[in-house]
Amino acid sequence: MRKSLFYGLLFTSPAIVGFIVFTLGPMIASLVLSFTDYSVFKDRTSFIGFDNYVRMFSGADDYFYPSLAATFYFVVLRVPAVIVLSFFIALLLNMNVKGRAFFRTVVYLPSIVPAVASAMIWMWLLNPDLGLINTLLNAVGLPGSLWLYGENSVVPAVVLTSLWGIGGTVIIFLAGLSGIPRQYYEAIDVDGGGWFSKLRHITIPLVSPTIFFNAIMTLIGSIQVFNEAYILTQGGPNNKSLFYVFYLWRTGFRDTEMGYASALAWVLFLVILFFTFLVFRTSKSWVYYEGEGR
Amino acid sequence: MAGVKRQTAWVILVLFLTTAVLAGCTRSGSQLGETDSGSDKDGGGERITLRLTAWGAPDEVEPYKIAIKKFESEHPNIKVQLQHIAADYDTKLTTMVAGNDVPDVAMMESGSIAYPLAEQGKFYNLQDFLTDDPDLNAESLVPNITYSLEEGNIIGIAPGPETFGLFYNEDAFKEAGVEPPPSDAKDAWTWDEFVEVAKKLTLDNQGRNAADPNFDPKNIKQYGVNLASWWASYSNFVYSNGGDFISEDGKTFALNQPEAVEALQNLADLVNVHHVAPSPVQSKNIPATHVALQTKKVAMAIEGQWVSSSLAKSNFNFNVGVLPVMKKPVTTVVCAMFSMFKSTEHPEESWELMKALIDPESSIDMLTAGTWMPAERDWYTDQALLDRWTKDQAARPSGYQGAVIDMLLENSHPTPTGYVKNFNKIMDVVTPALDKVWLGQQSAQEALDGVAQKAQAQVQGRRD
Amino acid sequence: MRSSKLSLTFAYLMLALITVLFIGPFLWLIRSSLMDLSQIFTMPPEWIPRPVRWENFGRALTVLPFGTYFMNTFTITISVIIGTVVSSSIAAFGFSRIDWPGRNVVFAILMSAMMLPGAVTLIPSFLGWQALGFYDTFYPLIVPAYFGGGIFNIFLLRQFYLTIPRDFDEAAFVDGASYFQIYRSIIFPLSRSAIIVVSLFCFLATWNDFMGPLIYLKSENLFTLALGLQMFQGTYTAQWDLLMAASAAVVLPCVVVFLIGQKYFLEGITLTGLKG
Repeated sequence: MRKSLFYGLLFTSPAIVGFIVFTLGPMIASLVLSFTDYSVFKDRTSFIGFDNYVRMFSGADDYFYPSLAATFYFVVLRVPAVIVLSFFIALLLNMNVKGRAFFRTVVYLPSIVPAVASAMIWMWLLNPDLGLINTLLNAVGLPGSLWLYGENSVVPAVVLTSLWGIGGTVIIFLAGLSGIPRQYYEAIDVDGGGWFSKLRHITIPLVSPTIFFNAIMTLIGSIQVFNEAYILTQGGPNNKSLFYVFYLWRTGFRDTEMGYASALAWVLFLVILFFTFLVFRTSKSWVYYEGEGR
Repeated sequence: MAGVKRQTAWVILVLFLTTAVLAGCTRSGSQLGETDSGSDKDGGGERITLRLTAWGAPDEVEPYKIAIKKFESEHPNIKVQLQHIAADYDTKLTTMVAGNDVPDVAMMESGSIAYPLAEQGKFYNLQDFLTDDPDLNAESLVPNITYSLEEGNIIGIAPGPETFGLFYNEDAFKEAGVEPPPSDAKDAWTWDEFVEVAKKLTLDNQGRNAADPNFDPKNIKQYGVNLASWWASYSNFVYSNGGDFISEDGKTFALNQPEAVEALQNLADLVNVHHVAPSPVQSKNIPATHVALQTKKVAMAIEGQWVSSSLAKSNFNFNVGVLPVMKKPVTTVVCAMFSMFKSTEHPEESWELMKALIDPESSIDMLTAGTWMPAERDWYTDQALLDRWTKDQAARPSGYQGAVIDMLLENSHPTPTGYVKNFNKIMDVVTPALDKVWLGQQSAQEALDGVAQKAQAQVQGRRD
Repeated sequence: MRSSKLSLTFAYLMLALITVLFIGPFLWLIRSSLMDLSQIFTMPPEWIPRPVRWENFGRALTVLPFGTYFMNTFTITISVIIGTVVSSSIAAFGFSRIDWPGRNVVFAILMSAMMLPGAVTLIPSFLGWQALGFYDTFYPLIVPAYFGGGIFNIFLLRQFYLTIPRDFDEAAFVDGASYFQIYRSIIFPLSRSAIIVVSLFCFLATWNDFMGPLIYLKSENLFTLALGLQMFQGTYTAQWDLLMAASAAVVLPCVVVFLIGQKYFLEGITLTGLKG
């Protein structure tokens, strides 16, 4: 046991040192700043106790709750959509189809294209009056939508645009799927099981560590959604896409209230920590690690 | 066999990568040394290095490079380091300020961190320089291109103004048999005349215009006019109707006052009542205007004059008229600025650099291309100078003199970012409310009354 | 096998649909890069450049010193990949194949690095690197890769290591192997597809990283491609034709790297299929 502690620390020491040197300092700094009125341009900074946190929760900040709401709506829509869709696509790409290399590359392409370029395409596609999607919908007799310009449609529209970037998640699933030995499937073939039973009894349990990883990462990433608001919507219309981190960034850098932005960040930190913890707790019942030999 | 081959490949790869890393480290190491010696003083007379930060596309930065080259040849002891910050300028500048790594002269935007910096006393008062300078003073600049923290404390001077005009496709007017917009402010269309024209130029897919009782607003092929929903765009009409963002004494939020409300309602009605304009789109970065005009998606566009440059490249008959007038002819001036940081050790030299940057001579390419306008009054009033950037230029059509130049000199209004304190926070309240107006879900009066109290809470007065 | 023919048909149909939906942005980029500025934004969109403007590439790549940017980006990216692969795979081993007290607590603490929005740690981090004298060098962009290489990568590899049966380690232990030998000769090779995924992500993230170089670099001769790309966006207009051409030129290496990288997934399947 003693020896394993030594080796455990030895192997993880670069990461631990890296965390302490490069990450912990800035984290503590921002925690301390969250109790101050720090603004980069002001020469004086003073401690103001919990004032920043009181301002947030007391309702004095008109954007705190709306930004939380917008973010939650986004997360609730996006996380399941990303996981289901990318798992489905990964299954397709893992089949013995011709041109796999091509299809895999195609799915990943949107993730490589620079954000400005793809944002521009979405602006064109989703333009309510001149955009391609509404034109197509009208052509088949369906009503169009205001998409990014409608209060009710902006978050779903943003989720839609973000689904274009699921290539990374698909790739991770593919790597997980590629680790499943073929013999396992053959066993089911012998037993006469169908496609669904393979999926349920072999594929999903065996890639559950990958599903778990993707779920956690998609969750953490979605709660911190920023670019979509920054590039596509600027938080509009009517603050319906004022995502939390975008609001935080606006507060810290445009309004130069870095102390308050730090407080906002630490509240979000706790929120993310809580949900990540929840997922970790449930994982014991559905994530199967062959390496743990249970 | 495959294994051996693969192993060899790995060895080669690792060797190659290690070399690359080593090269990388020595590279950046030597770089550090280079910059150090560069900023040091030489043996002879005092060597000065000035740092300048700016943003912009390569063609926008080119004039600064020309200006710097000229400046350096006139001041052989001064070297100018231009730091080109392509995007997220404010984030970068904020970290630079945090790290006390501040430029001497910086390009700034009035709507972002310029005023927060100025309020903390980070900028020189340029008024002092303007007063003493033999070549450049308040009178030699065109109106509304300086920014002040308060009266008498100028924190920034723009390299040039930008105004708004009514850009249009001449062929669309010919086809509809309608007189194009006048370019002279005294002949400008009234709002009602403008709406009538816009109706005649709005066509459904059967070719009926919006004045036709059978007009089908669900299938519009050509819109009469295009407008943007950002504050600078609608400010033209708020001012034209005698309204403002805040009251003259700076104490009251004023966008919910009758003049402003009427102007905003008129604009929203173009979309929702008259069906002559597509839903206004927020972003000014998507260059829809020139293509929309070229392809006759729209016949007219309320746009900043910078659009001239892309229109000039679009190869169709465009022109510019004066904006329709509600009560008085107005165009809002928007512009970036150059500011001088207090921390500079060489204020005199920095001022000389700023003058060089503002000099239209260096930016002549951007002036003829259409993107910019000169900062100095001479370049508008002296015919020989005026000809240099307007005569026979595709970007300067026949209406340009009246609709843009004369408007700037006689009827321009400063941008609200320059005189409304706490502008961003007020607009954080107003913009979401106006979203409902553009979508036709609320009247301008309802929407703005609804947020008046919250907006009022952010009002902190005027700077002028 | 009869059912598999049906499902294959279904798969091809779905893949065709996915291709149509996902290839859009890339085609858009490529066609825009070859277009005249006035044609890029035409509505409805045009897909065939007329005339084909190859000179966009020439202009885009000469208006800014892209050769220097390329070398800088290349140096940073390669250095980061090596550091990340080595250090994250070692750390992941420590977090999955060795049972030591406090392992999960330490792992959870490292995970917390991902949960605080970067906007508020940006300035403290910058001040730290500046105090060390590494402002305007590549070190802030490269060095962290050698110390863990990011918790994302450690977590990813940990998940893969955990799926490798423990029997392998036990057998090796009996033969007298050390932890390091197990890592090197069993775990690392067996998780090759995951390692390739990590290197691939690392390549793309570093290649396209904008914020890091923006904050930590000052001299133009140290700039990267991602910084250079942003320079085509101006105040009032953007040189979209050049932006698109430069973007295409920057993206192309990524596509090539990806095409090569994904080939190894295919191999990965058959390799692990033989064992077990």
